[in-house]
Formats: sequence, structure tokens, C-alpha cells
Amino acid sequence: MTRQEQFNMNQQQHHQDKATLLERLIFNNRPVVILICLLVSVFLFWQATQIRPSTSFEKMIPLEHPFIEKMLEHRNDLANLGNTVRISVEATDGDIFSKEYMETLRQVHDEVFYIPGVDRSGLKSLWSPSVRWTEVTEEGFAGGEVIPQTYNGSADSLDQLRNNVLKSGQVGRLVANNFKSSIIDIPLLESYPDPQDQGKLIKLDYQQFSHQLEEKIRDKFQAQNPNVKVHIVGFAKKVGDLIDGLMMVAMFFGIALVITWVLLYWFTWCIRSTIAVLITTLVAVVWQLGLMHAVGFGLDPYSMLVPFLIFAIGISHGVQKINGIALQSSDADNALTAARRTFRQLFLPGMIAILADAVGFITLLIIDIGVIRELAIGASIGVAVIVFTNLILLPVAISYVGISKKAIERSKKDATREHPFWRLLSNFASAKVAPVSIVLALLAFGGGLWYSQNLKIGDLDQGAPELRPDSRYNQDNAFIINNYSTSSDVLVVMVKTPTEGCSVHSTMAPVDELMWKMENTPGVQSAISLVTVSKQMIKGMNEGNLKWESLSRNPDVLNSSISRADGLYNADCSLAPVLVFLNDHKAETLDRAVKAVQEFADTHNKEGLEFLLAAGNAGIEAATNEVIKSAELTILILVYICVAVMCMITFRSFAATLCIVLPLVLTSVLGNALMAYMGIGVKVATLPVVALGVGIGVDYGIYIYSRLESFLRAGLPLQEAYYQTLKSTGKAVLFTGLCLAIGVCTWIFSAIKFQADMGLMLTFMLLWNMFGALWLLPALARFLIKPEKMAGKQGGSIFAH
Amino acid sequence: MTEPVMAGLGGAARKAGNRPWALAASGLLVLAIGLWANTAEAAAAQTDVYSTESSKAVKSLLLDVTKAGARLVAVGDRGHILFSDDQGKTWTQAKVPTRQLLTAVYFVDDKHGWAVGHDAQILASTDGGATWSKQFEDLAREAPLLDVWFKDTQHGIAVGAYGALLETTDGGKHWNDVGDRLNNEDQLHLNGIAAVKDAGLFIVGEQGSMFRSSDDGQTWEKLEGPYEGSLFGVTGTAQSRTLLAYGLRGNLYRSTDFGDSWQQIELKAARGNLEFGLASATLLDDGSLVLVGNGGSVLRSSDDGQSFNVFNRADRIALAGVSGLSEGRLVLVGQGGVHLASAQGAEGVQP
Repeated sequence: MTRQEQFNMNQQQHHQDKATLLERLIFNNRPVVILICLLVSVFLFWQATQIRPSTSFEKMIPLEHPFIEKMLEHRNDLANLGNTVRISVEATDGDIFSKEYMETLRQVHDEVFYIPGVDRSGLKSLWSPSVRWTEVTEEGFAGGEVIPQTYNGSADSLDQLRNNVLKSGQVGRLVANNFKSSIIDIPLLESYPDPQDQGKLIKLDYQQFSHQLEEKIRDKFQAQNPNVKVHIVGFAKKVGDLIDGLMMVAMFFGIALVITWVLLYWFTWCIRSTIAVLITTLVAVVWQLGLMHAVGFGLDPYSMLVPFLIFAIGISHGVQKINGIALQSSDADNALTAARRTFRQLFLPGMIAILADAVGFITLLIIDIGVIRELAIGASIGVAVIVFTNLILLPVAISYVGISKKAIERSKKDATREHPFWRLLSNFASAKVAPVSIVLALLAFGGGLWYSQNLKIGDLDQGAPELRPDSRYNQDNAFIINNYSTSSDVLVVMVKTPTEGCSVHSTMAPVDELMWKMENTPGVQSAISLVTVSKQMIKGMNEGNLKWESLSRNPDVLNSSISRADGLYNADCSLAPVLVFLNDHKAETLDRAVKAVQEFADTHNKEGLEFLLAAGNAGIEAATNEVIKSAELTILILVYICVAVMCMITFRSFAATLCIVLPLVLTSVLGNALMAYMGIGVKVATLPVVALGVGIGVDYGIYIYSRLESFLRAGLPLQEAYYQTLKSTGKAVLFTGLCLAIGVCTWIFSAIKFQADMGLMLTFMLLWNMFGALWLLPALARFLIKPEKMAGKQGGSIFAH
Repeated sequence: MTEPVMAGLGGAARKAGNRPWALAASGLLVLAIGLWANTAEAAAAQTDVYSTESSKAVKSLLLDVTKAGARLVAVGDRGHILFSDDQGKTWTQAKVPTRQLLTAVYFVDDKHGWAVGHDAQILASTDGGATWSKQFEDLAREAPLLDVWFKDTQHGIAVGAYGALLETTDGGKHWNDVGDRLNNEDQLHLNGIAAVKDAGLFIVGEQGSMFRSSDDGQTWEKLEGPYEGSLFGVTGTAQSRTLLAYGLRGNLYRSTDFGDSWQQIELKAARGNLEFGLASATLLDDGSLVLVGNGGSVLRSSDDGQSFNVFNRADRIALAGVSGLSEGRLVLVGQGGVHLASAQGAEGVQP
């Protein structure tokens, strides 16, 4: 075993390497290091306690996309298209025309009136005086309140109510098509005067508002009248539910912590180092959270992933450290020496791995969406923090507490005994297995590539994509879509004219054309605008005669016809929204609708008349999809270039870079195929996963290859070198993969759909990256690397001292 | 409870709150637009614009349906003209040089037909409704034509809003404004024109106005009608000198003496008297009469209009036109396009 001896010689030489400046700086001033870390931790912990969930709407949308720019530019003119909540009260036995139902409806209406944040003047239900019926008589229009002053709940007055509802045109709007439920329409104020101090404005707290709806409306009235069921939908309710879902995430963190603890103990058999690793890693999480707050970020549903990632990455680096220290302890006289040696040996690969992570995260900055940028910055801050906590603080801490005798015994035994499992795995590097592996990988690559053609952009499920399809919110949403003539997916086209130009025939006629074009576009249910109202109004002014249901060329007629089209034009009549209701928000539907509008705008835009895209939730999704689509490939290319460059710098070898990067490529392709299979679209939530997966996944490759290389240089043949690699670091790599996967897999159970998607994808990518590194890297090395050329040579790698 | 303005119109208020500024703004707007209306609205006639072909045409607003021989022809929104050669099962969209709302269609034989509509347009077809050409248009009127009648392929009359009365004697090559033949000082809308057997022509309109002519429209006599409200249409029956005039709120009148005297026909619906406006009527081949109107109203008489069976369709959709199919079945048009129906008007198989 001359080679083995030679290798041991190398190891000996390693120990005698001179301590670097950094090492001396840290280990000669250990109390100072601890003290500084303690002070920083106290300060950042105080900062971290102040961090609040934030779900700023603007951060979730691509602010620089032309659609969004136009939307924000005209935001004030579109104000009342936005924030409403709708409560549908369903009669579970019979229809709404019963005394008990109407009484409950009245009480709900009154209760809602007093919930802070409700725009009381706009509150609308059958009980509002503003909801009226009309009909044409010989003398003109007749009309009145749908529920007349004389209403007393008797059979007669209920019959009158039924007639009035039919005449009111509210069927399908305030009253369900099957008369089994009716809606209370609640416009919200983004900020409202403080009841205690009228001069002060309070910002609407969505979570609190959502809770009030649950307690004061849903729970209360369902208990009070068992024959009603309450359904609530609207942006504010959705955001409230989202924030509630976020609270669950804290629990996941606890679960991940416990599982990691158990695994860590099983790995080290040393309670002291287990606690040391956990604490330093938690310190990293606290620092990260504190710094996030210090730079002014909140914790949104996306950046919530970061503490989990940091925790997992921190643990995995901690494990590498503990593994190293245990190995070193076997031939070092005390804990300090072992810690110093480990620091010397692992600081650089650790740094490289963390840099690779950071680079992966940083590429996300090119996506013009606030939450993704914050995620990128937050995660980069986090991994930077790990350099201090797990690469510096942890060895220093271990140098004090040391490692249990039992653990040292075990690692000593491990170093010498034969490992059948690793021996078996080392066959991946053998000349017989490697070609099979490569062929299998190529097949998987081709299959994955072929299947991922089915991959879609955007959200694919019905209802609110943020929440699970079977969540209460989405069930409520489905109830309302099924029973009323409305859709929750609205694309808004803004028609811009000079002041007072929205109601002239030369504006209205093209708007009418646009609406018809849209209604003839597949995926569009209907479109409404001031033209819709104008035509109805002109028909109404002509005794309800259908022959007049058309735009008039008479300016006075046209002008008075829109006087009741509230909200369908702005104060100075320079902007009129066209609301296009879509079947769903699938990317094809959005694309088709957007393309139809663009075609129309290209031929009809002229001086004084512009058709602008886009507002409405579908408009925002269309813009987001466009940004995602254009960024998808760029991100992938960029992250691979960065990782490849990192590998090139580290190992100065093209073959090594290929060995490390190719397994990652396979993972990316299979990840896409999995998304296609699971029906997960490429969206704001899943796009970062690609970069995160590759950035973190490269760690395994770096750790394995750096060891493999050193054994090859020692002159071992490939398979034997790989066996030695596995023996020394295989366990740590396996464990790292498990740690990372556990950190994120709890997310699969999140109430928030996109978090579950992120969790699933990350778990897959992290596990598969680990597997890829263990399985494919040696197979590739068999073909790309010539061990005989490397033996005994001092390589160009920066690990070669 | 009568109000001067319309309240809470359908699609208007889907998401809108009550906004005082909107009312104030529209007040200002009336002033502002009034000032420069004359300059702003010099819209050019778009002569080369054809109606777009759409699969939704058969399901969108249609206002009139008639027969051209065995073929059905229906007209409606956005210049849609549809024809069917299989009893309404399938419809083909004709090539039509307008996108305006067409209000009425009349075929004098199986080839020659005319359609009228908004912008005072008159379209003509000589191939049974497959292709159409524009004969007349007058944007300055800012008003629609509402009905049309032809005696033969040469002589025809169109009526419309604000007392519009147009006549041609050369098959539509020239249309002449002959509004001054009527004594209609208030320029009341003329809603319908029809020929009455063995008598002459009859026009009804706004505020119960009635005019008759015994000389194919050369001279017209104004009549004092039985009703003050608007009459939307008139139709001759199979009997000599007998006609029906109908309008707002289920008002239906029958005369057996070319309008000298009238009897109101009582219409009983499921819940009391019929209160829906009546829009159109047709005389079927077997001599029975069918009227349609708002609220899904379908009225049928087999005694020459002396009494009617009233049926209100469950969908309560507003109907604007009717024509007969084989075996007494009906084709109804209106909101939601074409509706095939049984003899009583109940739901049939939709195209």
C-alpha cells in the first residue's frame, strides 16, 4: 500500500502547513471573537424580533413591465376596480325568499357596516337603498328600492321582493342565478380615519380584517342561523388567509429543527457538538433575520424560505466541520488543535461552496419582481452570515467545548475499517458501471427534455393560485363563480383619451369593436365597459326597445347615457377601463387575450385614443408571465455560467468543471419534467428554485471532487480514490443532502400553494443533486479524467497548497 | 314611485360604488361636450367596413327574422345577417358592408330583400340574403331606421326615428325623403309599417301615433289611436281590413276596419295581466298570429287575433322577432340570438 502511505504522508504535511493570517487572527483572539459574535447576536436578535410579515402587493409584481407601469400610472383612475370583498350568504334550505334568510342577510349587512375599513357609502346588498328596480311605463321610468319600505316579511311582501329582484337586473350579480344565495358587496378603504382620532388615518390590516370577517360574520351567523352558509372572497380575504398560512411556517421551522437535531445526534453521537452546530446555525438565522429587518425588508411568503435555507445550509456546513474535527481529533492532542486544523482544511472549500450558493442567489436579481429580489438579497446576506457563524464561530466554539470521546472513538474506527456500503457505491467509478450510468443519464436527460415540453408558464389551477385548490377560500371562490355570472379573472384594458374624450362616439365605437373582438377570442367569457352601460341606457331611454340597443351618434344622447356608468370612466373622462372576464388564468388564455388586445391597439391607436394594457389580476399575471418567460432561460444560463466559472477558478480544470456541472444539468431537466408532471407552472415561486437548486446543489460536487482530486493526486486509481473519498466525506455529503431536504420539505405541507410547490421542487432538486453527485460525478470522471496524468502532480487547484 | 331617471342599470354597477363625483362630473361633462360637439363628431362614413364573421353572431342580439322563400334570414347587432336553409338548425353569416345594428328585414320574394338599421342604413340583397350592398346611409340624422316594407322589387318604404319616411320606386337605387307626406309635427318615431289586406298601408309609432294610406304611400292620413303610449309595431291579419297594433306593457289593439275603430285585446299571463312590451308579430301560413316581446313573451292566436294564448319563456329573455317553421314550430330572435321553439314558444333545440 505504498500509495496509501504516500497519501498519509500528504496528510501529515497538511498538518504542518503554516497557519494563515486569518487563522492566527481568529484563534489567537478567541474570547474577542466570541464576545463580538455575542454582541452582534444581541443586537440582531433585537432587530429580528421586530420583523413583521409583509405582503406588499407591489413587491409581487414586475414594476418595470410596461403593463404595470401603465397600470400604476392610472392607478387613481382605476381605484374602485380594485379592493372589494364579497360575502355570499347561501340559503341551504330553499331559496332566499324567506323571512329568516332576509333577516339574517340584514343583520350581516348591518354587522359588515361597522367593521373598520369598510367603505360604508359603497356597501351594497339587497338591503341597500341604492339597489333598485326599474321598468318602463307610459309615463317614463318607474323604479324603487328592491326591498320596499313596506317590507315586513309576510308572504305578500316576499312575493313583491321576488318581482323586484327580477326587475332589478341583479340576478347573476347580487343574487345568484339559482336564487339560493345573495351577495353583499363590500368596497374597502386602504386607509380609514381612526375612530378615536378622526384626524389620523389607519392603514387597513388585512389579517385583522380577515379575522373579523371570520368571527363577526362567518362563525357568528352560521351559528345563529344554521340554514345559512357564508362564502367570502376578495383580495383582502385572500391576503388575510395568506398571512395566516405564513404563521404555520413558524411551526414547520420547529419541526425541521427537531428532526435535524435527532439526525445530527445520530450522525455525531456527541451532544456537545450537536448543540454547538444547532446554536451557531440558529445564530446565523437570527443574524439573517435581523439584517433583513435592518436593511428594511419584511418577511413575505417568498423570503420566508430564506431562514429555512440558511438553517439547512448552515447545518450542512456545520456537519462538514464536525466531521473534520472528529477526524482531526483522533490524532490531535486537544480540541483547539483539532479545530485549528479543521479550520485550515475546510475554510477554503467552505468559502467556495458558499460563494457558489451566493452566486446562484445573486443571479435572481435580474428578475424584475420585488419579492424575488428580496429573496435573492436575503439569501445572499444569509450565506454571508454563515461564513461568520459556521466557518468561524463554530470551530472557535468547538475549540472550547471539544468533542465527546465516544464520537472521536467512532470516527477513529471509521477511518480504518472497511465500509461495504461505500465500497459498493465506489463501483460507480468502475470501468464497467460508468458507461451504463452515462447511458442511463443520457436517456433520463432526453426523456426529461422531451417531457418538459409540457411545462407551462404561470399558474395553472382555478381560483386564487396562492392558496391550495381545496382551501376554503378557493371553495368559496368556486361557489361564487358557479352561481353568479362573474369570473375572478379580469383583464383590464385602459382606453386613454384627452380630457372629456371618453364619451364621444369616435372613442366609444372602437371600444365597442374591441369588446366584440375580445368576446370572440377563445377563453374570454364577456367584456364590459361604459359602452355596455351606454347601450343599455339608450335602450332604456327608448322605452326598452331592443332596436335602440346601440351607440348613438348624438353627443348629448351618448353623454347622458354614461352618467350612471360609475367606475367605468374616471373623473375627467379621460380614461375608461374595458373589463375582460376570462375563463381562467392559464398562460395560453392570457397570451391569447393580450395578443388580441395588442393587435387591436396596433390598428386602432391614434392621436387622442390609446388602448393600453393592462390592469386587473389577469393583466398583472400576464405581465408577470412575460417577465418570468423572458427570465427563465436567462436565469438558467446565467446560473450555470456562474457555477461553471466558480468551478474553473477552483479546480483550474475543464474536465473537473464538466464532472461537477453535468449532473446539475440533469437535475434541472428532470426538475422541469417533474414540474410538468405535477402540473406546477413556471412562476414567481418556482423560478427561484432553479437558481437555488443549482447554487446549493453544486456544494456536493465541490466537496466530493476536491477530495477525489486529492486522492487521485496521491496516485490512487479512480475507483479506489472514489472509495476513499466516500469514506471520508460520503457520510457528510449524504447527511448534508438529508439536512437540506428536511429543511425545505416541511414546506410541502404549507397551506400556501406556492410554498408547497417551492418545497416540493427544492426537496427534489436537493436530493437529486446529491444523488447526481454521488452517482454521475465518478462516472463522468471515468471518461473525462486521466488519473495516471494527475498522480503525484501538484494540480492547479486552489486547494493544492 | 315614478322616477325621471333610470336607477341601478344592469352591468353598470358591478363593482362601482356610489360616487358623488361621477354624477357631478357627468354634469360638467354635458356642458363641456355640448360646447365642442359640432367639431368633434365629424365622423367619416366607413364604406369599406364589413361585419366580422363570428361564431357568436348566432348567439348575440338579433332583432328581426323573416323568410326568403324557404330560407330564414335574421338581422341584428354589428351588421350580422344570418341565413338558414335547414329550418334554423344551422346558420351562415352573410357578407354585409356594415357593422351597425340592423333593426328590420323584409323579403319581397325568395331573392329580393332589404334590411334597415342605424345610421339610417338601407342594405339590399338580390340573392336571397347571401350578399348585401349598401343602398342608403345618412349619418347626419343620428337616428336609425326601424322598419321597411316593399310592395314589389321596385317600390318600397322605410320608416324610422324622428319621423323618418323614405321611399324608392326603382328598387332602391334612389331613396327619397318623403317625411313631409305625414302630418307628424312632433317628429315622433315611426316604429312599424305593414300592409293590411284589401286596405292599404299602416304606420304606428311613438305616443300611440297611427297613419294609414290607401294609395301605396302617396298620401297619408293621421288617425286618433286608442292608446297614448308607444306602439312598437303593426301587422295585418289574414282577414280583410283587419290589423293588430301593439306596444308598451302588453298593450294590444285590434281593428277590423283599417283603423277606424279599435278593441283592446286582454292578455292574461300566469300572474295577472301581461306587462311586458310587445316588439314584433308574424302571420303564419295557417293564418295564426304570433307576437313576441320582452320578458320572453310569446303570444299565439288561432282566431285571427281576437284572443291570445300567453306564454312567458323561463329564461325571460327579451324577444324582438319571430318567424314560423314547419309543423307550427317557431324561430324566435332577440337577446341571445336565435331561439328555436315549440308552437307555444317553449324552449326547443338551440342551433
